[in-house]
Amino acid sequence: MFKRQDLLKRVGMEIEFGLEDLAKYPFLKEAGDYVKELSLSVEDLGQEDYRPAVERAKQRVMEAIQKNYISSEISEPTVELLSFPLALMLVKAMNVEYIIHRYSLAEAIRAERLLKEEKKSIISYIFKSTFNVEPISVEHELFDFKINLIEYLKRATHFHEPEWKLINRVVENGFVYLKTYELVRLIREEIRRKIYDRMKGVSLPSMPKNLKEAVHEISGVLPPPSDRFQRVTPEKFPPCVIHTLDLLKKGQNVSHYGRFLLTTYLLSIGKSVDDIIDIYPRSPDFNERLTRYQVEHIAGMRGGRRRYKVPSCRTLATHGLCFKDKILCATIRSPLQFGKKPPFKKKSTRQIRE
Amino acid sequence: MIIVMNEKTIAVLKQAFKEFYFKNAEKITAPIRMKEREFGYMSFDKVMVRHLSFQTEGNLRAFLIKEMPHSVYYSCAYYYEPILAMDEKGWKGADLIFDIDADDIPTRCKEEHDRWICKDCNFMGKGKRPDKCPKCEGMRIDEEYWVCQSCLEATKDEAMKLMDFLLKDFGISMENIEVYFSGGRGYHVTVEKSALEELDQLARSEISDYVSGIGLSLESLGISKRASYEKMRRMLPLTNESGYRGRIAKFFSETEFEGYDGNDVRDKIIYIYEKMKHKNFENFVGEIVGKLSAKIDAMVTTDIHRIFRLPNTLHGSTGMLKRRCDDLLSFDPFVDAVALGEEPIQIFVDHSPKFTLKGKLFGPYKSERVKLPLMAAVYLMGKGLAEAD
Repeated sequence: MFKRQDLLKRVGMEIEFGLEDLAKYPFLKEAGDYVKELSLSVEDLGQEDYRPAVERAKQRVMEAIQKNYISSEISEPTVELLSFPLALMLVKAMNVEYIIHRYSLAEAIRAERLLKEEKKSIISYIFKSTFNVEPISVEHELFDFKINLIEYLKRATHFHEPEWKLINRVVENGFVYLKTYELVRLIREEIRRKIYDRMKGVSLPSMPKNLKEAVHEISGVLPPPSDRFQRVTPEKFPPCVIHTLDLLKKGQNVSHYGRFLLTTYLLSIGKSVDDIIDIYPRSPDFNERLTRYQVEHIAGMRGGRRRYKVPSCRTLATHGLCFKDKILCATIRSPLQFGKKPPFKKKSTRQIRE
Repeated sequence: MIIVMNEKTIAVLKQAFKEFYFKNAEKITAPIRMKEREFGYMSFDKVMVRHLSFQTEGNLRAFLIKEMPHSVYYSCAYYYEPILAMDEKGWKGADLIFDIDADDIPTRCKEEHDRWICKDCNFMGKGKRPDKCPKCEGMRIDEEYWVCQSCLEATKDEAMKLMDFLLKDFGISMENIEVYFSGGRGYHVTVEKSALEELDQLARSEISDYVSGIGLSLESLGISKRASYEKMRRMLPLTNESGYRGRIAKFFSETEFEGYDGNDVRDKIIYIYEKMKHKNFENFVGEIVGKLSAKIDAMVTTDIHRIFRLPNTLHGSTGMLKRRCDDLLSFDPFVDAVALGEEPIQIFVDHSPKFTLKGKLFGPYKSERVKLPLMAAVYLMGKGLAEAD
């Protein structure tokens, strides 16, 4: 069914890039070129030959939606490779912004998982050709690579955990030393953006029946678009919480304290840890394991077993997170009181007696 | 203390500056990529003008002779249109600049020569300014700084530590680093012609935190409450490492600790850690980092639009030059940055501690009329301690 059974590309420093490698990293230009060379038409994709690829594409998208995860086992490299552009078409056809985000992130996490176990030479090649970063392999007790200080800073400043602070790294002669998993983590957001941009650029032809069916099937498992944020009606949220949620919805980064506010608030109104973790996938540096740990920590399920309280209005103001409504916030001291206290103070009985 | 300079004093200062710029015009050199930079100046009437641009060195020299400014500034940033409003300039990049100021370094001599005065009741005191006046509890307090040889020696030490970070850790080539005495209270260290110029504010604040030793975690040294001693022993720093790990290991290796007489640095650290317990050890490492880091002004390094005194121009508060230090160790600001002449002029000195310029000792003075060489007269008038007579 394919014109070429295998492809070997010799690039730069004697690196052999096989079909399997392309199947692992289908977002690479080399992978796109390979698929292009097959010059398949949309009609071709409707044929029985391509059923496995369409099935795998469907699975990719479903996994991303349901589990925030895309499996990385490769049974048949050509099927795996072809399923990626097909999956992009399926997602694009659904035309739901949230799914586009979720899918590109899940793909990026899949690539990250594979890269962590990858040969150093392939990692170096992919970084250089695709992300314009040149990691240098090092023989070191604690580290695998070093990268240029500037390339490090451009990316690491988006992370908030202390281990990414420059002062907590080994910095020598203009290079920052990293373990493989750290190097790969550093680039994940760029992989995500690459896939996201690629999807935005996909033009949708009129699709054959089997693809249309796949879209339909996937739509069936889709939660209603606003479900993630639906537990409590947003009108009842105080403005500070709405502001923070809005930032998250727009995919912008929310400060540490903003996340703390949101988590404590949502826990207090009875949302579950899972519901809360689910609202975070849109942040650019989402890391589910860590988010879960943090949310559970705040919920008192870990660490000091102390359940954190919602910060007071005053503390929020200090952190620049108070977006006070002149009338509705007039009498409250904590976001939790929003909508529960009457907006204006009633005269106390003592005052009336006097 | 003289709060507002009188007209006669301003006239004398302006004349001194004009003559200097006229005689030394050829020494005023344009900064690299001058056309892409914003210029600004402050007049002796304390009016600030910004968003200027100079096309040639000649324009710049003519401007200085004509305007006789108190201070002249140029931007660390490169712009597409330096004369437009800030958000329309189009930022291209900026030199990475560090400011080390005697103000930020606690030295003992400050208790001797710094003063403050309450604007409400005129009560005066020495040393650092209190939050409120001990006499009338007023909050309006004026400060008067003095900079002496030992203040500037302390800033030099910080500059040396900074240089070590720039050269060894960040791998910046010496050719791209210029060290200047600022003409006032410290040193400017400028990194030019380097790829670092593209760094944004966030990245610069990481650089600034690194140099100032902010945010170091014990985990980065391989120490954590949960780790076993075996694991810690594997992860602890060695003296031949670079960065903070290496510096901290060296500190432990070179410092004597009671009860330990081996010479394995990792053993030594574990011994001290066990003795001190986690929290105390953490504080101790904090103190070590405080000693190893360089006290820079973080606001300056992270501000990508900031303007700085132009090298080879005079500082209006001292009459001294912002001057490049070819050899920081041997640089003596009170000799090498003194720019004005020695022709005597008569001034009235409100008060002044002892000071030395070009090896000549002056003062102390207290409410007296004295005839001083121009360099010393301007030094006192610029600081607001004297008036032209």
